[in-house]
Parts: sequence; structure tokens; C-alpha cells
Amino acid sequence: MAFSSRISRRKAAGLLILMTAQVFCAVFFVTDVISDYQEVGVDAVAHTHLYIETLATLSLVLAILFEGNVLAKMLRRQAHLEASLNNARAAVQDIMDEQFEQWGLTPSEQDIATFLVKGFSTAEIAELRGSAEGTVKTHLNSIYRKSGSRNRTEVLSLLLDCIMVTGDKSAPTQA
Amino acid sequence: MKSIKVWDPAVRLFHWSLVAAFTANALILDDDTKLHQYVGYVVVGLIAFRVVWGLVGSQYARFSSFPPSVTGATGQLAEMATGRKHIHVGHTPLGALMIYNLLFTLAVITLSGYLMTTDMFWGVEWPEEVHKISITWAEFSVVLHIAAVIFESRRTKVNLPRAMFTGVKVLPETQGGN
Repeated sequence: MAFSSRISRRKAAGLLILMTAQVFCAVFFVTDVISDYQEVGVDAVAHTHLYIETLATLSLVLAILFEGNVLAKMLRRQAHLEASLNNARAAVQDIMDEQFEQWGLTPSEQDIATFLVKGFSTAEIAELRGSAEGTVKTHLNSIYRKSGSRNRTEVLSLLLDCIMVTGDKSAPTQA
Repeated sequence: MKSIKVWDPAVRLFHWSLVAAFTANALILDDDTKLHQYVGYVVVGLIAFRVVWGLVGSQYARFSSFPPSVTGATGQLAEMATGRKHIHVGHTPLGALMIYNLLFTLAVITLSGYLMTTDMFWGVEWPEEVHKISITWAEFSVVLHIAAVIFESRRTKVNLPRAMFTGVKVLPETQGGN
């Protein structure tokens, strides 16, 4: 749910530190497993312990990749909300992000779509993202294409529509 | 295009000497030779020089221009996650963390390696274990460092390896303010 960006920033930093510690452990375990295999050679087939060790190491590596994905999502959400401490705005942002995902927008397109909703011009978006205006225009065109709209106004209408519909659905559960 | 001189000759000489020394000891030289030990002493000298240079060197070489910062690092990761790109003229926050990591790890490697040669720790197991683990970590870090340099060069369109040779970062016109 909605939480202030200051707290989420601390959460992201905490997750990064945790991941670093886990990467250190993973590097140790992976090299250890590899040297174990080199030691036992062909006898490895009969070593149940080695299988478990390999599985445990693999799951640690997978967990790190999963956390990386979570961290990326967290940072994207935070970047879209920027300094907003307003809970209602965070909730609206969540609905919009979900819609962006449904349209199949890339992370860059999601970022640009968020700036578009906030009313920034193409030139302003280019400056905020440190990229060329032409690049932003290309991204805008694929946002229109993926959402099935022709211009900014239509994108905004679609989003406004889905915010109102979602608001309707959640009304009975809140009552 | 805008060219900015960032890495002074001392920083570049330090970087490539360290590359040569680490490669020699990790991949080429036999661990039990005297030469392996001498190269280790060279690494100690290089680290000591870099620490001093981090205090008195040129603008972008100083530690004060790239303080370790977790929030800076998550900020840079957020730029990657959203596809935004704002150029850092000197070291990036993640790059800075990698530098501190490598300097610290190499210090641990050389110290544990030195202890293995002393009479006091002759036959004691832990210095060798520490030496091995820290080398594995350093090798992983070097691979990650190279991968990150290539990734960031492509993402930000700034040729970082070339900057470490020439000392000059060439920044695209659309970035860095306007």
C-alpha cells in the first residue's frame, strides 16, 4: 500500500545492502561447490550431500535475482512518485502503473507516461530524463500505439477512466 | 560533444599498474615464488599511493568527490530502472562503491598474503583461508567491474574505458544539464 517515499528510500537502501551481503555469500558458496565437484570428480553422482549443497546454492542465486527484480520495481515506483508524500496520489500511481504494465510499456515508456500525466511537455520530459527530444517522441508514439490512442488527451482519458472504474469497484469493500 | 578532463595521469597509471599486478599474481605467476611476493608488495605500494592521492590529488581523484553513499547508489539504480540518464562527470555512486570495495579487498589480500610469509603465522590456517576467499571476491568484483563499465558505457553513451586511457570523458550534447 501507500507509504512515504522517505521510508521506501530507506527500504531500497536496506534491500541493496542485504543483496550485497548475499552476493558475497553466493560467490563463496558457488566457488566452494565448484571446487567440491573438482575434488570428488566422477564420484559426484553418488554424493547426496553435494546435490543438496548445489540446490541450496542455486536457490540463493535465484533469490538474489528475485530481489533484484523487486528492488528495480521499488525504485521505479519511487521515481514515479518522486517527492509526493500524499497517500491518495500513491494509490492513483499504483493504478496507473498497473495499467502501464497491462499495455506492455517498457520501464522507459512507463516513466515518460508518468511525466505525461503530470503535464510535462516533450522538451521538459527530455530534460528530466537526460535524453534527446527525438527519443522521447519515439517513446511517446509507442505509448500511443500500445494504449490504442492517438494523442496525449486520449491517453489521459483512458487512465482517468480506469481510475474511476477502480474507485467504483473498491467502494463496497471499503464501506 | 563536450570533453572534460577527469582522470589525471597518476590515477590512470595507478589503475593500469594495478590491473597488471593483479592479473600477474592471480592468473600468471606461481603462488609459491618470490616474484609473487614482490608483486604483492607493489600492490601494497599502489594502494598506499591511491589512499594518499585520494586526500591530496586532483579534483576527481579525491575521496571527497566520490564519498560512499547508499542513497546515491540506489539513485543510480533507479536511473537504470526507469531509463533516465544523467551523466556523472567523475566517479558514479556505484563506481565509487566498487573502488572502495576493491581497495579494501586488495588490502585484505595483501595483508593475509604477507602474514602467510611470516614465521609467526607459519602453519596457521586462517591467513591462507582469508587470502583465498578475498581473492575469489576480488576476481568476482573485477568481472563485475568490467561488466558494469561496458553496461554503463552503452547506457549513457560515454566511452568509459577510453576515458581511463586518455583521461578525457566525451559527453553527448543532450546530457549534462541541457
